[in-house]
Amino acid sequence: MAMPSQPPSRHTAFATLKAGLDTAALAAPRPRIEAKIPSSVPALDRALGGGFPNGSLVTLEGPAGRWSIAASLVASVTCRSAAAIVDDGGLYPPDLARSGARLERVLIVPAQSPLAIARAADVLVRSKACRLVLVPAPELRAAVWMRLAGLAHRTGILLVAVPPSDAPSARIAPLAAAAALRLYCTRGRLETVGKRGVWCTIGGYDVCAEIRKNRTAAPEQRVVARAAVC
Amino acid sequence: MLLCVSASAEITCWEELLDALDAVSPLVDDVRPGLAFADMHGSPGSPADWIQRTREAIAPFVLDARLGIGSNKTCARAAAHAGDGTICPAGGERSFLAPLPLALLEIDPKVMERLRLLGVERMGDLARLPHGPFVRRFGPEAARWHACACGRDPAPFVPRAHSVAIEATMFGEGRADDEAQVIFALRVLLSRICSDLERCGKRAGSLQLDVELEDAGTQTFDVLLASPTIRERDMLDVVRAKLEGVCFEAPIVGLRVRASRLEEGGEKIALFAGGDFDPQAIAVAISRLEAMLGEPVRQARTRSAHVLEERFVYDRYVPPKREPLHEERLLSACDTLIPQLRLMAVSEIDVRVRNGEPAAVALDAKPPRAVIECSGPWRVEIGWFSDAYVVRDEYDVLLDDGELCRIYRQGAQWYLRGAYD
Repeated sequence: MAMPSQPPSRHTAFATLKAGLDTAALAAPRPRIEAKIPSSVPALDRALGGGFPNGSLVTLEGPAGRWSIAASLVASVTCRSAAAIVDDGGLYPPDLARSGARLERVLIVPAQSPLAIARAADVLVRSKACRLVLVPAPELRAAVWMRLAGLAHRTGILLVAVPPSDAPSARIAPLAAAAALRLYCTRGRLETVGKRGVWCTIGGYDVCAEIRKNRTAAPEQRVVARAAVC
Repeated sequence: MLLCVSASAEITCWEELLDALDAVSPLVDDVRPGLAFADMHGSPGSPADWIQRTREAIAPFVLDARLGIGSNKTCARAAAHAGDGTICPAGGERSFLAPLPLALLEIDPKVMERLRLLGVERMGDLARLPHGPFVRRFGPEAARWHACACGRDPAPFVPRAHSVAIEATMFGEGRADDEAQVIFALRVLLSRICSDLERCGKRAGSLQLDVELEDAGTQTFDVLLASPTIRERDMLDVVRAKLEGVCFEAPIVGLRVRASRLEEGGEKIALFAGGDFDPQAIAVAISRLEAMLGEPVRQARTRSAHVLEERFVYDRYVPPKREPLHEERLLSACDTLIPQLRLMAVSEIDVRVRNGEPAAVALDAKPPRAVIECSGPWRVEIGWFSDAYVVRDEYDVLLDDGELCRIYRQGAQWYLRGAYD
């Protein structure tokens, strides 16, 4: 003889609901604060031990390829968080969007003078609003870079400074001293598609990144990453 | 029955007039500055009494307003248009509207011209047209025009939300000579403001700070919060940023803080919301940056255009809402580098041409450098229909020192636009 089905007790119903909620919470992607920010370039991430270290000042030096790497970092960060770019007038947002960056999560702070750039970087790092702050590196005193590096360390923000391509080494020495990671970027082989002239398009080029300084791992590694136009 | 108040769109005291209309009816639909409707269902008296009461209520604010009464918005507005104080009789809407011009329906001017060519110039002409063929020819919006012309307006009545004044004041409690005292007083006032906001279930989008000085002077600061908030600390941070560098000529004897741009409270919960993206923290950072740099923080938006410079536009940054984290978005970033064009200030350059394409480029008054690879030209033609006709040929050139540049020729002159990095 079958027993009539009992209505679920309050405790049973609550336990069922809780189990369902836990399952949903586990299934949903959870925000994670990693110690490193991957650049989306596997070779570079491997060389850096997983990515760019949070809470540090990083420099992207060299004649070419610096902003390509910076854009891939912005794309990586804006998946989960926000990024800020202090713009001295050179930013071209369509290329930034093509690299995968979510433009609605990128704060663009216009600043031209070295003092304005430094102050904007200070406010952005201190506020902890953006996980990545990208600044063109003007000529500033060593104390300023030390202070910004210390702030980045305390707040856990990745501060990336990009000095001009033609900056002499003496000029970026104060920045290099404060940086936890220095990458020297150069352009490698350029590949064209089609015959020379109107049908020719630039298919891409190699970006060679040399790790000149790394406080968390051995430097002197050379990485080649492919930059594709199309 | 609805009562229409129609005035000039440039009216300056519209909000005050709407507040005065609350005395006539508790339900007021604020369509736009210069046009409002009041729901008179259940109001005592006759339509003539309603008009008289309304006229008395709004007399202090506007003199040239026209009033009309009808069973729906179109009829009430048509009555106001027909003459101040006109009443559209219930049941006779169609015949009342028939002689009135089509302009009352706010139809697109191009469609109006098409209708005029078809001999449809009055509401009665439109009402006589067969509904089905007319809608098929002029689109879904035509259904609304036809219904309105027949005296049936499907537009809903949307009562406006009543404004809530939230402010806190501190006067007559001594005077403040240094910054710490002012900040302490501000903290107290903002705490009160936030409590009131919480009680009303609102968030404030901006604050107005009035500072009374001992010499009877008053300074007012409008503090814009980039994102509406209820958090006292965020408000204090922004107000402090706003007051940075401000010098008062006399001790402060009074403070008043008023919350404005109120929005309904509530934000998506962060239980499953994505990442460590915090709109409030961003809002505070933006306010500080704007106070410091004097320029708005921007947000880029791309758009389709022929010319390089027109392919993006900058707007003032508005933090987006929190949203759930999607795995596909986490993986959406490219796994390859994308070359980034760095824009430069447009400058004339010397270019030597061989066989119709650049052979050597001289940048920055340096010796010419040979072109190793050349891609282009891509012709851009814009403004051919106007005086601002522009034709330019754009090239990507790789120079012998490894620099990859974007140059273009416009007329006989060559220009440098940027370099790939």
